[in-house]
Amino acid sequence: MSAATKPRVAALALAVGLVLADSSIVVLALPQIYRELDTTVAGVTWVLVSFNLVMALAAVPAAHLARRTGPGRVAAVGLAVFAGAGIACGLSAHLETLIAARCVQALGGAAAVTAVLELLPATVGSERRATAVWATAGATGAALGPAVGGLLTELVSWQSIFLLQAPLALVAAVPIFAVAKHEAATGVLSSELRPSGRPHLVANLALAMISAAIAAALFLLVLLLIEGWRLSPIGAAIVVSAMPLAALAGARLGDRVPSARARAAAGAILVSGGLGALALLPKAEVVLTLPPQVLVGVGLALVLSALTETALAGRAPQAIHGGWTISARHAGVVVGLLALTPIFTADIAQQRHDAIDAGTAVILDSRVPPLLKLDLAQRIEERLEEERGRVPTIGSAFEPLPEDAGEREQVVQLREELQDQLDRGATHAFSASFGLAALLGLLALIPIGLARRLDL
Amino acid sequence: MSTPREMRGSLLVIGSAVAALLLVGVYLAAGGSSYEPAKTQDPCKHRPWRNPEGLQEIVQQFTLSALDGAACELGVSRETLAQALATPESRERFMQRYGIGDAELARAVRAGLVRAVDDAEKAGALSPLIAGPLRSTLREIPLDRAIELINDAESIFDQAQSFLGPAQSLLEGFLP
Repeated sequence: MSAATKPRVAALALAVGLVLADSSIVVLALPQIYRELDTTVAGVTWVLVSFNLVMALAAVPAAHLARRTGPGRVAAVGLAVFAGAGIACGLSAHLETLIAARCVQALGGAAAVTAVLELLPATVGSERRATAVWATAGATGAALGPAVGGLLTELVSWQSIFLLQAPLALVAAVPIFAVAKHEAATGVLSSELRPSGRPHLVANLALAMISAAIAAALFLLVLLLIEGWRLSPIGAAIVVSAMPLAALAGARLGDRVPSARARAAAGAILVSGGLGALALLPKAEVVLTLPPQVLVGVGLALVLSALTETALAGRAPQAIHGGWTISARHAGVVVGLLALTPIFTADIAQQRHDAIDAGTAVILDSRVPPLLKLDLAQRIEERLEEERGRVPTIGSAFEPLPEDAGEREQVVQLREELQDQLDRGATHAFSASFGLAALLGLLALIPIGLARRLDL
Repeated sequence: MSTPREMRGSLLVIGSAVAALLLVGVYLAAGGSSYEPAKTQDPCKHRPWRNPEGLQEIVQQFTLSALDGAACELGVSRETLAQALATPESRERFMQRYGIGDAELARAVRAGLVRAVDDAEKAGALSPLIAGPLRSTLREIPLDRAIELINDAESIFDQAQSFLGPAQSLLEGFLP
């Protein structure tokens, strides 16, 4: 690659990374959006679902459009729409307008990301290299998204996530404008309009299933950390950084194994194993989420790249088949979120109830004097009311502690036991959803196994 | 015969499966399948009293028995009822959520108090001479008063004295 083409490749990679990061970048901001826009868990899920749904629906039509009207023009317009809609997202004061702006953002993103795949081969010199740059940029963006989103949410605000995307999208668009100008002058070559072959059904199906599992892993883990265990967005961002770091190691591991099928199978097994372990957390401790995250991170790097390569190998035009992989991945994310959200929402409510009952039993069965019990019960009830159905931290309900040393010791022990019951409830509320996501990951082994036999 | 390329692929799959199973196994062994809130007990099941020593201990167990009895009548857990009786607002929310009227709640709370007297009598914490008239009195008291007695069972024994009037001197003799 010449020094002259490097900035253009970097800009194209930035465009892909930026758009594909957007499907996950708001994950860590969701709890803040949930509170600020006064909505429900199911409602706030649509900030993610809407973007991924429109991406899934628009990716293939956008790829066709890119080939008919010129990828440079489509990519430039797509990035401009993406940037404009990002500003609208950042300025949204209501959930409805935020979701509408996210849909427009996804339309622009779908156009940009598929058109870039059409532009890359001419820039990097080969279709194989173009696929590698495109897949790596997308995987990096998707993996870094949550951590960057978490940092911005805590240091600035959730709105800053979207507002910052606008200038970055415009930076990525600068070299693409030159291509668009050239296309306007020369027109689109008729050779570019050759019909496309059918998509790799089995690889795309496996991509959809594994994406559902990975999206669930990320979304559920973030909610567990912030809503369940009360970590700050920045704290949660640091914790979930384990996944992209492990993904980097996974990518290096994948380079040593030429068989795409083996990498895909190993990746799906690791993702499922990580999710299975998250479903069986033996304690509410952040450190226990790290080994499962390492498995999911290594697994996602192996399986996503292997399946994307399989879906694109020997198929032309790349933009259309790249569009199919984008569509499959985002459709999987939508299915994962929509299938699991009602399950864990119901589980959270049930577990909160069970945890509070268990905590009340601890208080009732304690030897604390009855009048002190009554006072504690009232303060805890008030604390629960303040938390509006979320999993509460209960410590402040026990303040001030009794002056009598004996009573104080009893109350401190009570506080710990009660918080333990709440932690148990918050953690267990996610178990079924993590378990189902693990099952989805395992089911992806079926199409991966079929891929060789059918060679579609 | 496998080629080195196939071998590497197989090793990666086997290694991944071992790592996944190992981690899941370790978490299971560490109690991952049972890390959940403790289950609450059936309030209709009789809970034997601990050795009642002193008024404070009797009051504690009397309250728990009364809550169990009332919760059993209403078909909810003892803990849910205790949260409901914490404040007038929580009581209102509870009644709305479970579709319970004042009369039904009053009946249940009175039944709970009577069960607590039964339990206290069985445990030897209350003399039959006091338990009988106390039961009759508790069956008639208004809802707010009944809830007060559950929340502050200590006063029930003081109240028993005023309810019983002439039996006051006997009460002092029979209470531990």
